[in-house]
Amino acid sequence: MSAEATTLRVALVGNPNCGKTALFNLLTGSRQKVANYAGVTVERKEGRFQGASGRSYALLDLPGAYSLHAASLDEAITRDLCRGFLPGEPVPDVLVCVVDATNLRLHLRFVLELRELGRPMIVAVNMADAARRRGIGIDLAALEHSLGVPVVETVAVRRDGARALIASLDALAHAPRAPTAHLADASEAAMHSETRRLLAAAVTMPRRTAEIDDTLDRWLLHPVIGLVALAAVMFLMFQAVFSWATPLQDGVAAGIAWLGQQAAALLPQGPLHSLVVDGVFAGVGTVVEFLPQILILFLFILALEESGYLPRAAFLLDRVMFKAGLSGRSFIPLLSSFACAVPGIMATRSIQDPRDRLATILVAPLMTCSARLPVYTLLIGAFIPRHQVAGVFNLQGLVLFALYLAGIVSALAVAWVMKRWRRDRSEHALLLELPSYRMPHPRDLAIGLWERARIFLRRVGGIILALTVLLWFLASFPAPPADATLPAIDYSLAGRIGHAMQHVFAPVGFNWQICVALVPGMAAREVAVSSLATVYALAAGTNDTAAAAQLSPILHAQWSLATALSLLVWYIYAPQCLSTLAIIRRETHSWKQVGIATGYLFALAYGASLVTYQIAVALGAG
Amino acid sequence: MHAGLLAQYVVIALAVLLSVVVVARKQFPEGVRRLRIACAVPLVREGRPSWLRGIGRWLAPIPRSQGSDGCGGCNGCDDKQ
Repeated sequence: MSAEATTLRVALVGNPNCGKTALFNLLTGSRQKVANYAGVTVERKEGRFQGASGRSYALLDLPGAYSLHAASLDEAITRDLCRGFLPGEPVPDVLVCVVDATNLRLHLRFVLELRELGRPMIVAVNMADAARRRGIGIDLAALEHSLGVPVVETVAVRRDGARALIASLDALAHAPRAPTAHLADASEAAMHSETRRLLAAAVTMPRRTAEIDDTLDRWLLHPVIGLVALAAVMFLMFQAVFSWATPLQDGVAAGIAWLGQQAAALLPQGPLHSLVVDGVFAGVGTVVEFLPQILILFLFILALEESGYLPRAAFLLDRVMFKAGLSGRSFIPLLSSFACAVPGIMATRSIQDPRDRLATILVAPLMTCSARLPVYTLLIGAFIPRHQVAGVFNLQGLVLFALYLAGIVSALAVAWVMKRWRRDRSEHALLLELPSYRMPHPRDLAIGLWERARIFLRRVGGIILALTVLLWFLASFPAPPADATLPAIDYSLAGRIGHAMQHVFAPVGFNWQICVALVPGMAAREVAVSSLATVYALAAGTNDTAAAAQLSPILHAQWSLATALSLLVWYIYAPQCLSTLAIIRRETHSWKQVGIATGYLFALAYGASLVTYQIAVALGAG
Repeated sequence: MHAGLLAQYVVIALAVLLSVVVVARKQFPEGVRRLRIACAVPLVREGRPSWLRGIGRWLAPIPRSQGSDGCGGCNGCDDKQ
């Protein structure tokens, strides 16, 4: 076998937030999540690429680590893989140690630690463009000479930014060589001293930090002004979700309604017509309408992720989170849970303290995931008038903000109770790396939004469509008896299940249609919307395609405000998400924790909905 | 039964069957994997005709790559590994 035919295993290693995943994406053409804060990658990812010489490489993207003395689960993966201790994983042939050119003081220490492993290694000085802009000069030749390993410059966000790295890999693959320099003393003090020597020999730095970072941090990390700024950002985000999305949503709704009418005209009357009109277009179409809201929410999240503001927000909220029994480290996993609790719970691997990690895992489902947004916007659109408050704020946006806030406050309250329960009085200092601020690049934002749209539409075309078809089937069969007096759907399997469940949910104001929607909502929460649309479309009769496409007015006419508020509150806690429960099982290795999460979330959802409904009825909204 | 209506029921039956498969694969990936293995093992045993072994190989799930840790199939994030 020729040398070119063997695939070389290359591992990207380095401190968190030095651009390993960006480099991985650039080399392999992958689109793994990147953001401007530490701890985005928590497990190893693998991809392949071909060098200029034609040799193929298997590239491993590893979680960031500050040291091979792992302090958290994600760092342990990197340590074990680099040392060849990970079961079933051969030790990498080449280590590419990625360092942030603007922060060499921190990153070079880890280079020295990795060099002591004695594996063939390349140092990739990433973000070289940002370093140049800040006036940081790096003498690559001097650094290479001092380190005894090849040193190359990379710019992972530029298309040709890894050319030097690929050439260096090809050269190393042709003639593998271990590092030529070693430390006589591998103690911490010796490594710091060697780092200082390397900096003096190869790096010129006008300032340790960027001036703009210092100026912005003076305001954004201020204990009062910083919190006001954070509240303003969050507030603006939810206002925008309603204000900006309306025209787009109307356009999408009109398009889907038109398509539904065309399909209805083409198909003959019969069960297939009902499946397409009442199931696919009324059900799935209603969920697709919420794409603009989801994209606007993610536009803000992506911009905040790119900017480097999020770790600052974690720093600001550390005191509040500590009082509630969490740490600032929990902020990023909890923030990730706004997209979906599954990556949020996985991101808790970067939390070092096991009790803090468990507390974060258990409260992560209380963060409002994007799958709940269609439910919220449907009910808010149907029941909350589009009024202006104080001439500036949109009332619907205010309600949405309140729902998100209720989720956050509930999470803090639950964490506080858990802390009291376990009588934990220990303090864990927050050590968090604050990255440089970065202006979000429009191209990156566009790619991020495209990815979110693709994920959402794939979900719509996959699990949501499948569940809607199944619900339509259960809501259409068996056919009603000849002497039926009620609508046909009442005799269907779904109708019977809904009526049976209503005995449990009547005290919280849920009718049987809502009960039916709760069941498939366990697989994907958006399906609650498509299920309601399908159930009401079937109940209305199969001929009315226009009515089927308009769920909001139907709900407004048939539900009381108390029921709508109760359902909104139910979805703040929404205990029913099988994927979340599965990931809790996987991350905690405990069915007991799954039981605790399910039990407390259900109790909270039921209790809060009951109180909301009963108060609303007492106030005359029933 | 009218042929057109029968064709409609056939299409619906296929759509429902496909939906069951999609939901099972998304929500219970480990269960589906075990089921596929259980179905495939008797078919690929020594002495079975080659066409039966072919079906067994088709049924068997792809071996899991070492160290990979797929996420539960919620599609809430991009699950490309």
